[in-house]
Amino acid sequence: MPLLECKGLVRRFGALVAVDAVDMSLAAGKIRAVIGPNGAGKSTVFNLITSVLKPTAGEVIFAGENITGLPVHVVAQKGIARTFQLCHIFPALTARENVRIAAQARDDQRWRFVGGGRVLSRSAAIADEALEHMRLTRFANVSAAMLSHGDQRLLEVAMAIAQKPRLLMLDEPTQGLSLEETDRAVQILKGMLSVGNLSVLLVEHDMEVVFKLADDITVLHRGRVIADGLPAAVKANAAVRSAYLGGSE
Amino acid sequence: MNWKVNFGVTAGVCVLLPFMVPQYSLTVLIEALIFGLFAMSLDLLVGYCRLYSFGHAAAYGLGAYSTALILTQLQPSLPIGIVLAVLVTILAAIPIAWICTRSTGISFAMLTLAFAQLGYAMLFRFRDVTGGSDGIVGIPRPSGPLGITWFQGKTGYYYLVLGCLLGSYLLCRAIVRSPFGAVLAGIRENEAKTIALGYNTRVYKIATVVLAYGFGGLAGALYAAFAGFASPELFFWLVSGRVLIMVVVGGAGTLIGPILGGVFFVFLEHELSQVTDLWPLIFGSIFIAFVMFAPEGIWGILTSRFNAKPEVPNSASGKETSDAAA
Repeated sequence: MPLLECKGLVRRFGALVAVDAVDMSLAAGKIRAVIGPNGAGKSTVFNLITSVLKPTAGEVIFAGENITGLPVHVVAQKGIARTFQLCHIFPALTARENVRIAAQARDDQRWRFVGGGRVLSRSAAIADEALEHMRLTRFANVSAAMLSHGDQRLLEVAMAIAQKPRLLMLDEPTQGLSLEETDRAVQILKGMLSVGNLSVLLVEHDMEVVFKLADDITVLHRGRVIADGLPAAVKANAAVRSAYLGGSE
Repeated sequence: MNWKVNFGVTAGVCVLLPFMVPQYSLTVLIEALIFGLFAMSLDLLVGYCRLYSFGHAAAYGLGAYSTALILTQLQPSLPIGIVLAVLVTILAAIPIAWICTRSTGISFAMLTLAFAQLGYAMLFRFRDVTGGSDGIVGIPRPSGPLGITWFQGKTGYYYLVLGCLLGSYLLCRAIVRSPFGAVLAGIRENEAKTIALGYNTRVYKIATVVLAYGFGGLAGALYAAFAGFASPELFFWLVSGRVLIMVVVGGAGTLIGPILGGVFFVFLEHELSQVTDLWPLIFGSIFIAFVMFAPEGIWGILTSRFNAKPEVPNSASGKETSDAAA
């Protein structure tokens, strides 16, 4: 049974069909990339899975359970952690505090409103571990707003892994990064992914990044799946090439 | 800077104050502490959740009128009366919080204002109970339990207020430093992200509004039992505006700052109102000056000389630095 399954997802914005009958599945322990040109509907698919947007039609099945349209925080509690295309962090808080709040989200005693020192310290331990994975340890006590854009993106990934997710969803983790920063981010992500037996759904614009990280690839174009398979097969696919080169279908 | 030493010294000075000033000055001191407590309660919303309540007078008024009714009708001992009044305020706050937190930003401010004005209007509608524009006068300070009477005098009442303020401060401080408080910081910084992490932020916001009402209600209760009367002005939007100014001028998000802001404005009003009728003008000028030149407030100015900014390590986009770190 796949960990995540999207069945016939449709999302309309008025007359525009942003996502059109998308079927996709992710096996546990695999890394699947969703690629496609701008406006292909990649981020919309992400938002449908995490319930930020409600689908017009279709279902999202996670670990055998229908999670379509559940509140966003409930979906997160099922074990789905995500990063956002436009980096979402807590700018005025330190890097450690950013990740600590993420780790605390999965603690049974996160509600404690007096005391709770043990919740704070065990979340901080998870946070330090996640920062270490992302090589951000020396920024632990620096406020997130002071970090470079590349480090902020890695910080958001650290927050996601601190949630100890069953499914990790990364929305363009290298967006807006310089070539150097991208290389470094890919290296760190690759190291992190090879250690943990993580299931990952990755949206990425940069083909180079995708071929370095993904086991399987889904290609979206104008809201539809136009190819699905191993990286080598997708690379050779004529429809994919024409979509990326902007040719006619 | 040791927090405990500073806190101990400040508390010590507050305890000794009644022996250093004449009896009639105690009135101003007590009012200052009550307003400090009131402003601190609003800081939970403004400073920690960035929820700008423009109707916090509702908490003050609810606390004051509940105390007035409970002490005149049921005549329990004063501490029991105050505790009951706070509980009434908290119960009333639950539906208010539930409705107000459906929105954020300016509509949150307007909804809270609407509830305060609703309370104000109801005082005139149910004048049999509330006394209408006359309010409720002759609120006693009944002795007990166990025949305790020390809080009936002015000095004793000063210590009662001081104790309530210190206790509330320590409790609020514990709350904002708890796991719960960390989530509030998340809501303040980026609510969408906090939800995406798996927190039901609405529940956290409702709880915080209710807490703020509870502490605000305590301030109102202490005021009513001290002044001996409760009047509709306590519910009026001017009170909400004043306390919001106290929070901002004192330094939002610090708890101590708004206490100082409340104390500062009560003293200022006391001094200026003896000299000139134009004191609201000066009030406003001070507010504008703080917003423009010292948005971190009184407490921010006081602490900025002691806290040097931490040094930021070089950002690691270069290869050498990242290797050095790894």
